[in-house]
Amino acid sequence: MPGDSRRIAGPQDSRAPHWFGRQQETHQEAGGTRQDGRGDHDLRPVYLHTGVVSQATGSAYMEMGQTKVIAAVYGPREISRREEFTMKGRLCCELKFATFSCRQRRQHIQDNQERDGSLIVLQALEPAVCLDKFPKSQVDVYITVLQDDGSALAAAITCAALGLADAGVMMYDVVVGCSVRQCGEDQWLDPSVREEFRPEVESAGDHGMVTVGLLPSLNQVSALVLDGHLQQQTAVQAVKTCISGCQGIYPILKDCLVSSTRRNVPSLEQKSGQTSTDGQNGQT
Amino acid sequence: MAAPRVCVPGERLVSTADCESGRGTYVHHGYIYSCLAGYMHKRNLDGKELPIVEVIRQKEDAVPRIGSIVTGKVTSVSGRMCKCAITCVERTTLREPFRGLIRKEDVRATEKDRVEMYKCFRPGDIVLARVLSLGDANCYLLSTAENELGVVLALSEAGAQMVPVSWSDMQCPKTGSKEFRKVAKVQLQQE
Amino acid sequence: MSSTLGVLSDAERLFIVHGVQDDLRSDGRACEDYRHVEVETDVVSNTSGSARLRLGNTDILVGVKAEMGEPDPGRPKEGKLEFFVDCSANASPEFEGRGGEELAIEVSNALQRIFNSKSTLDLTALCIIPGGQCWVLFVDVLVLECGGNLFDAVSLAVKAALYNTRIPTVIVTADDEGQQEIELSDDPYDVKRLDVDNVPLIVTLSKIGHRHVVDASWEEELCSLARLTVGVTQKGTIAGLNKEGSGSLDPESIYEMIESGKKVGVVLNSRLKEALEKEENSKREKVGFLG
Repeated sequence: MPGDSRRIAGPQDSRAPHWFGRQQETHQEAGGTRQDGRGDHDLRPVYLHTGVVSQATGSAYMEMGQTKVIAAVYGPREISRREEFTMKGRLCCELKFATFSCRQRRQHIQDNQERDGSLIVLQALEPAVCLDKFPKSQVDVYITVLQDDGSALAAAITCAALGLADAGVMMYDVVVGCSVRQCGEDQWLDPSVREEFRPEVESAGDHGMVTVGLLPSLNQVSALVLDGHLQQQTAVQAVKTCISGCQGIYPILKDCLVSSTRRNVPSLEQKSGQTSTDGQNGQT
Repeated sequence: MAAPRVCVPGERLVSTADCESGRGTYVHHGYIYSCLAGYMHKRNLDGKELPIVEVIRQKEDAVPRIGSIVTGKVTSVSGRMCKCAITCVERTTLREPFRGLIRKEDVRATEKDRVEMYKCFRPGDIVLARVLSLGDANCYLLSTAENELGVVLALSEAGAQMVPVSWSDMQCPKTGSKEFRKVAKVQLQQE
Repeated sequence: MSSTLGVLSDAERLFIVHGVQDDLRSDGRACEDYRHVEVETDVVSNTSGSARLRLGNTDILVGVKAEMGEPDPGRPKEGKLEFFVDCSANASPEFEGRGGEELAIEVSNALQRIFNSKSTLDLTALCIIPGGQCWVLFVDVLVLECGGNLFDAVSLAVKAALYNTRIPTVIVTADDEGQQEIELSDDPYDVKRLDVDNVPLIVTLSKIGHRHVVDASWEEELCSLARLTVGVTQKGTIAGLNKEGSGSLDPESIYEMIESGKKVGVVLNSRLKEALEKEENSKREKVGFLG
């Protein structure tokens, strides 16, 4: 494996002590509630904030329970690599888990899961961004998962979309991500890391995890990932649950964006004072 | 006056029957939607029946478009062309520069065949130019073939900031020597 | 992904979209028809299992090599399965150097996704000494020609190659001091086979206009903005699902696409099984795979 020579890497084959301990239980407590006391279709508390990276054109921070994600957006800027001329802009996404974000320490170099995640986030955001508004330039989105407590991919999608909106990149809609964990008959919305799908623990029957990225006001699905084995009806049902979960997060994102706009963008009255046009503020 | 409405990308604003779509908005299935997080703004234009609805956000990041006036810094000059780094588009300062190119034939509108690049630009000059086309993958094509476009700021060989004396000359206040430039007739822009 | 392979004019695009609308595609197929598939196994003698598959103009060669290695500490009783996809410059000059890497990663991630479940392949059968030694199956996919619908073709070829894979039998003996020894059987025909019944196949559904098609040719792929790759097992279970491309889909059409993916996938699985069994019993002499 190629190492990053600029960093001092720890021993390649070291293991966190948890590995040798008891494997964590996946299953829920008796009585229908989950380990953290939520109902099956309850979301964890969500916190969103914009403008956390002052250098970036736009940025956002998101917490979903203990999952913490930060996203920074740069651009539109010149396409760095030598490529053909395009009338459409380019979107680039990079998803990275901080080395300390998971139970097992991660490497500095992007691994396969991160590369796969980057592609999913990119394809989730692409339909939402008006790429024709910035010909031959690119917008870079860097997402770092600071702490992974489950549903990190869904959080990354939401956080990146909020960052893009904060950067003032023209978009047809925002994107909201949400995950569902299917375990037998049970469907858990917004799973925590203990509830997440781990192929090595599972046995027969319906089991898997679905992540959906939704453009909420256009009602379009821009990302859909399913891991595991599900019957067709269960899969469809899980996608529906995800969509309703996304619609649950959307108002929070909208509120955050409205209040940050009021806070950071100078209001229209000052602007219309300068301009000589017969400005008229519309309220419909 | 009521507080202006703040909208987010994807929010439905009005029907196309009531308004026309302006900046920061798009039309989808007969309705106008916002594509920015910003303030909604309706404005009546003379000679138009419907008001224009716009969404305005100051942080809106500009990229050079065909016809927009850009400010650039000359980085290199050769016999055929002059390269510059675009630092401003209209009135927005860019965070990162874009590359631009002024070809010999786009320097001025008359006597194009007698243009000598070295007598028009020097590296380090600040120029105003209009975007002719998006160019190739590397550079935007710029033109200074208007009276108002060309060099606005230049330093003399002695290092002093020169003052324009004609459309083709600038003078150094320190030494009094004249240098050739394609000088812009700077106009006060109407706010 | 196929944008690298060419461009399509608006008229061509419109022609294809209108054809799909009327359930008649430019090569005469209906929306849920596959192209002709040719599959041949045991084509490379140096491998534990191999297969070559041709789907329309898409040409895939898969080699499986079984080697011994250490299992993951997290899963001590299981063997390992590793996928490597190589989009060679043979398939397209665009793939030269690192050009094919992005596509290769996409394909290997898709494979990883459908195999990412305990019930897919019994990895415990690959265990030799729990926590000590196991079989590592290196599945190397070589893309020889790229004529659309790469994902489906790769998954078909991988399943065929795994079906063809034969792992030598090993005997573990413990000596007096408890030291374990691995002994390889002398008989080259004393081999173990893999149970591939639950291995899913990928069915890619490309959204074109208001409808979706399976097994899109590369021209059709250029017309489609959003694709759904669905892993389907023989029993019709959905094993892995991913939306690809820069477009979005409305929920209703996703449900329809999953349904037709399942329908097509089940048929595809049984047809592949038939073909593989038939080939194995036919004892035809192999004369090089490009013949």
